[in-house]
Amino acid sequence: MIIEMKNIRKSFGSNHVLKDVSFTLKGGDICALLGENGAGKSTLMNILGGVHQLDEGTITIDGRLVKFNTPSQSQQAGIAFIHQELNLINDLPIYENMFLGREPKTKRGRLDLERMMRETEEVFNQMHVDLDPKTMVRDLDASYKQIVEICRAMMMKASVIIMDEPTTSLTEQEIERVFTMMRTLKENHVGIIFISHKLNEVMDVCEKFIVLRDGQLVEAGNVSEVTTDDLARFMVGYDVRTEPLLREKKFGNEVLHVEGLTSTRAFRDISFSIREGEILGVTGLLGDGRSELFQAIFGAEKVSSGKIFLNGKEITIKNTTQAINQGIAYLPRNRKENSIIKDMNIFENAAIVTWPKFSRRGVIRTQDHEADFERQRAALKIKMGKLTDSINSLSGGNQQKVVLAKWLSASPKLLILDNPTQGVDVGAKEDIYDIILKLAEENIAVVVLSSEGQEIIRVCDRALVMYHGVIQGEVTGKEMNQHTIMSLATGGQLT
Amino acid sequence: METELVTTNKNFFGWFRTKWTEDPLFSTGIAFLIMVILQTLVLGFDYDSVGSWFQSWSNNWINILRNNASTGIVALGMTLVIMTGGIDLAVGSTLVITGAFGMILLDTGTKGILVGMGLTGIPAFIISIILVVLFGYLLGSLIGLTITKGNVPPFIVTLGAMMIFRSLTQHFMQGYNPKVPMEFLEIASFRIGNYMIMPIIYWAIIAYILYYVSKRTVFGRQIIAVGSNEKAARLSGVHVEKVKLRVYALMGLLVSVAALIQVSRIGSMDFSNAGRGMEMDAIAAAVVGGTSMSGGRGFIIGTVFGMLIIAVMNNLLNLFGVPPFLREAFKGVIVIGAVLLQRKEKTS
Repeated sequence: MIIEMKNIRKSFGSNHVLKDVSFTLKGGDICALLGENGAGKSTLMNILGGVHQLDEGTITIDGRLVKFNTPSQSQQAGIAFIHQELNLINDLPIYENMFLGREPKTKRGRLDLERMMRETEEVFNQMHVDLDPKTMVRDLDASYKQIVEICRAMMMKASVIIMDEPTTSLTEQEIERVFTMMRTLKENHVGIIFISHKLNEVMDVCEKFIVLRDGQLVEAGNVSEVTTDDLARFMVGYDVRTEPLLREKKFGNEVLHVEGLTSTRAFRDISFSIREGEILGVTGLLGDGRSELFQAIFGAEKVSSGKIFLNGKEITIKNTTQAINQGIAYLPRNRKENSIIKDMNIFENAAIVTWPKFSRRGVIRTQDHEADFERQRAALKIKMGKLTDSINSLSGGNQQKVVLAKWLSASPKLLILDNPTQGVDVGAKEDIYDIILKLAEENIAVVVLSSEGQEIIRVCDRALVMYHGVIQGEVTGKEMNQHTIMSLATGGQLT
Repeated sequence: METELVTTNKNFFGWFRTKWTEDPLFSTGIAFLIMVILQTLVLGFDYDSVGSWFQSWSNNWINILRNNASTGIVALGMTLVIMTGGIDLAVGSTLVITGAFGMILLDTGTKGILVGMGLTGIPAFIISIILVVLFGYLLGSLIGLTITKGNVPPFIVTLGAMMIFRSLTQHFMQGYNPKVPMEFLEIASFRIGNYMIMPIIYWAIIAYILYYVSKRTVFGRQIIAVGSNEKAARLSGVHVEKVKLRVYALMGLLVSVAALIQVSRIGSMDFSNAGRGMEMDAIAAAVVGGTSMSGGRGFIIGTVFGMLIIAVMNNLLNLFGVPPFLREAFKGVIVIGAVLLQRKEKTS
């Protein structure tokens, strides 16, 4: 089977997202689709998946012209799109999930559970999957959820499977499981389009690659002929800096000191400290508990035992309001969910933390507050329209800067940044790194939580690596490299 | 989406449509204006002089406004509650229980508490007003505490409170009808230049205060933050529980004010029927005024308009001679229609 997309163009309003993109995929190929955020990857795949309609261009399958107006038309043509947010219902068993929306019925009109179980079993056998179809999806780990989705696609006779960043939330072992699955798919002559930001994985599992930049196909070829550095260069259009940002380090007094901090579930026996002007990295894989740990320090999660010292004094923080008054700031991960308040405008989103600070007897002093935001806006180089524009009118990078601005206006002594560059393009990423360094210069203690080892190496002075709720190790200097971090994050020891 | 808006701005109809769908105050304002014109037309111009026409016109308006003042005040509180993403079904019962409490305090008959303590006249009035308002605030706080500390959905808590408050009132009053001193009725029926407009003034003052609170105070803005994205609000240092607690307490307080107005208007209260359906009227007013039931979006002025639209329509139906049983249906149509015409939440 051959799928050919030719001269695809697509615009949203005046925004030309795809400018004349062509590419071909054969059955049995695993092709990486690479590009920065906003390069047009998702749009291209959404067109193939029938979510968006193309403006110009053609799609052919085995030479036949096809047109997808809805996702189900694309599905019928044998294209399966596995989204980042999986389409599974947690409260149903696997076999029912396999037949969502097309449940077989018995003659009497009841669900044909036996047939569903039998057919699920058959697909699992074909794909060498060792799972009980009666398991509840809730009880599966993230990789098996992926696998269930892949099996569902196979059951629907998919000949092309699009996988949108399937490995972002997986551990090393789980990733390997998904890769094995992908290789089985290849043996079954299924074509795979693999969208990922993790270039090492691309080198590992893919044979072909295409790179999109600004809506154009800039490079395509065989993975065996390139290096990860090449791929990174294709994506951004220039050499990406991966070396640490060297800086003069002069640390002041200890700001935060944590001793034996334990929660009921997420983390246990955590001890560490951070000083003024220091940038501390905390990394690990999904389920390492780092977000929960720092949310607990910020008063948003419960702690069962342990002590927290701020500036040498023991404190107990019951809620986030108290934490802010103590000079702690926490920029959460998942901006859309945890930071952005969509019913409020740009200024209000930047102002929410400091309303109490800029108010007298409960009445907000808007003018002073606006002046304060204006200073932040200039310092952080936020590109925006009016203060009263919708927060959704901004790009991801600028939204993140607005969120950063709201925390900086609280003038914290301890700034915790959880995945600060999530959903932010490369240019804005560099801006954020610069801001982090500048804040450290101003004697703020900065904690950077990140799942990207590269990010940690680039900006942090020292890093803690967590594994299943404990600090597995601490790395500095030469030891702070991708390899050591990854081995600690997967449960290994420092040698 | 955005570019579409820009292009439709070019002509008047486009501008009108954008404004109508994007700005609830605009649409409800216009709907209200149409109601005013209809009301004026229906009243007719068949009068001896402009003076007597105006007399009749304004009396009609004062009647409408006064009759809806207490529900109007409750609707204002309801708007804030809905803005946090909650709901208060107990307002009608809270009205009855706080009203009954006030009447038993003031009673000149056998059970009067303050009379029993030898307190009468203005001091007794002041004390009972303060106590009634405190009682309302307390009941509201109780509801708020159950919601925040007990982590029970507002719908359930206030549904329960609705039954509890009315049942308790009926049990304790057992058909006893307290007599409120005539002087107390002055609170609602004091005349300014021959117009009985005190309830309207109370409504207007409260509406202004709440408008100011919702627009300019930390509390008011935090209400929107909590209703729009509770998690983000909490992670931005908003004390979510405190905000919710205060909103329900404020709701209780406003209901007790409405109860005082009710009691002082008629001097009595039918404990089994007073305030029944009040929660629905209040919710309807808020929704017609552009408040989103999912929280995060609400307009105090919109609710005032919403209340008036419903009230004027009731009055019109009355003037047209529409059978009483059919009037609720019209109200239903207005509520659904208003939301149909307003901006829809994007479901992406």
